[in-house]
Amino acid sequence: MDEWTEWLVGPLRYDYLLRALWVSALIGVVCGFLSAFITLKGWSLMGDALSHAVVPGVSLAYLVGLPFALGAFVAGMLAAGAMSFVKAKSRIREDATIGIVFTVFFAAGLLLISLFPAQVDLKTILLGNMLGISDSDILQLVLISVITLLVLTLKWRDLMLYCFDERQVRALGLSPRFLHLTLMTLLAATSVAALQAVGACLVVAMLVTPGATAYQLTDRFGRMICIAMGIGLVSSVVGTYGSYWFNGATGGCIVTLQTLLFLAVFLFAPKQGHLTRRWRHLRHASRKEFNT
Amino acid sequence: MKPSTASDASQETRLEVDKVSYKYSNGHLALNRASFVLNSGTICALVGVNGSGKSTLFKSIMGFLTPPEGRIHINGEPVSVALKRNLVAYVPQSEEVDWKFPVCVKDVVMMGRYGSMNLLRIPRAPDRQLVEESLRRVDMWEYRDRQIGELSGGQKKRVFLARALAQGGRVILLDEPFTGVDVKTEDAIIALLREMRSAGCIVLVSTHNLGSVPEFCDQTVLINRTVLAYGPTHEVFTEQNLMAAFGGVLREFQVERSTVQKHDGRMVRIVSDDERPLVFGKDGHLEYLDREQHEELIRKRREEYDG
Repeated sequence: MDEWTEWLVGPLRYDYLLRALWVSALIGVVCGFLSAFITLKGWSLMGDALSHAVVPGVSLAYLVGLPFALGAFVAGMLAAGAMSFVKAKSRIREDATIGIVFTVFFAAGLLLISLFPAQVDLKTILLGNMLGISDSDILQLVLISVITLLVLTLKWRDLMLYCFDERQVRALGLSPRFLHLTLMTLLAATSVAALQAVGACLVVAMLVTPGATAYQLTDRFGRMICIAMGIGLVSSVVGTYGSYWFNGATGGCIVTLQTLLFLAVFLFAPKQGHLTRRWRHLRHASRKEFNT
Repeated sequence: MKPSTASDASQETRLEVDKVSYKYSNGHLALNRASFVLNSGTICALVGVNGSGKSTLFKSIMGFLTPPEGRIHINGEPVSVALKRNLVAYVPQSEEVDWKFPVCVKDVVMMGRYGSMNLLRIPRAPDRQLVEESLRRVDMWEYRDRQIGELSGGQKKRVFLARALAQGGRVILLDEPFTGVDVKTEDAIIALLREMRSAGCIVLVSTHNLGSVPEFCDQTVLINRTVLAYGPTHEVFTEQNLMAAFGGVLREFQVERSTVQKHDGRMVRIVSDDERPLVFGKDGHLEYLDREQHEELIRKRREEYDG
């Protein structure tokens, strides 16, 4: 028993692992919270786009020596602005607009990285690096996460109304544009945070999967938020710890875990699970047969 | 049934639409100097074909669009100000709602109260009380914990009516309120709208259902690129006006044999934009499936309005 505990808890003596664990826990919670809105608003593609569009910002920030979060955030907001500008000023559909804008940004980022390979690490940006995170990066992530959590906690009802019924937002004399901008800003900020944990390619999973999983488990939005936050927390912590053991990519571990959870819920959720429904149907049918 | 706080009968409400015009980007007029005025205590139908500018006008009164020319005032103030005072409530068309959204009936009704809550939107006791009251008025209190997608068409409609009630709006806008609704619910909705009218509200109904308009709307605004006519329904609903509004967009449909009477020489004139057509007899009187009962109802409604 003691050996087991030692085996499991022993690594926690390492400072860097402990740090990685609580930072990823924080990021997991924030992403989970936001994912409830992103899934229901149908912004998954937008989340994917923003997380790729921040790459040139990160590269530039590293090159110039600015905080990476600042560069990423500016690039993200620029991309979001460019998307809505092209959408408003042309007849191109939204998905095509998103596709064009985010690839342009991502291409620029890749170009920058390939031109200055010494200063910017491609692998860190694309795949994340939780275990080797620096103190200044931690500070930035904590700042982003705490502000995002604060805004979401204070404004979740307004944002829920915005996702559910934009017209009612207007009818109440509130500003849909303001709420749109708030949600977009939070999305950009959160993709920056998640970038560090899982890398640009997998950010969208952090921003969608917990929400999509929770959506199948409940009919109440408040509960959905709590479940999504719980999934984000557990998968981030266990995933990061697992990546230490397997010596594998942190992002890969976290997202694989989330996907396994999603699958389990997809099949076995009490009300909406695929197999549960099928089983209920069969049982119902056989009972009918028995009665006749 | 006592009206909720904001729907105090003593409060006068006035809706003024003054020379509102819209142009398409190609220079054509979508709506040309549309004007009408409505005062407290009315159920008014907004009638016109698709493309008549009806929905443009409807959206402008809701504040979704701002007319480039002309003005819309509620109680002497622009729509944007009236919205901030929670004076305008809106009951959406069923197709506009995401029925899979994880909210239950009482959550939706509570959304009507957001405008009157503090910035954190934490419900207080009076908010909860209004939500319960509103749900009881539409007879949906026992469904309060149901997810909204698990309701029938009529129940869904009543939930959003309850939200408008809870909001306490003075101008209530309904878009096609009877689509996908059974006859029993239709009657219940009409009864509720009449209660709102008694409480001094202005109920504005946008509808294609011409046949039902004379039964429950005391006033009508007839639109085809401008306001063709407005006023008491029995004055506006003339064959001449309706042909002007609907001329050229008639469709084919079946007519109940009972409406085509001998005394009309088996000749009737039909005006329709939806499943319930409006049928005129020879001398321009309205025809109905069950004519005597309908005429009685319409006569009563007219007396109420004149009185």
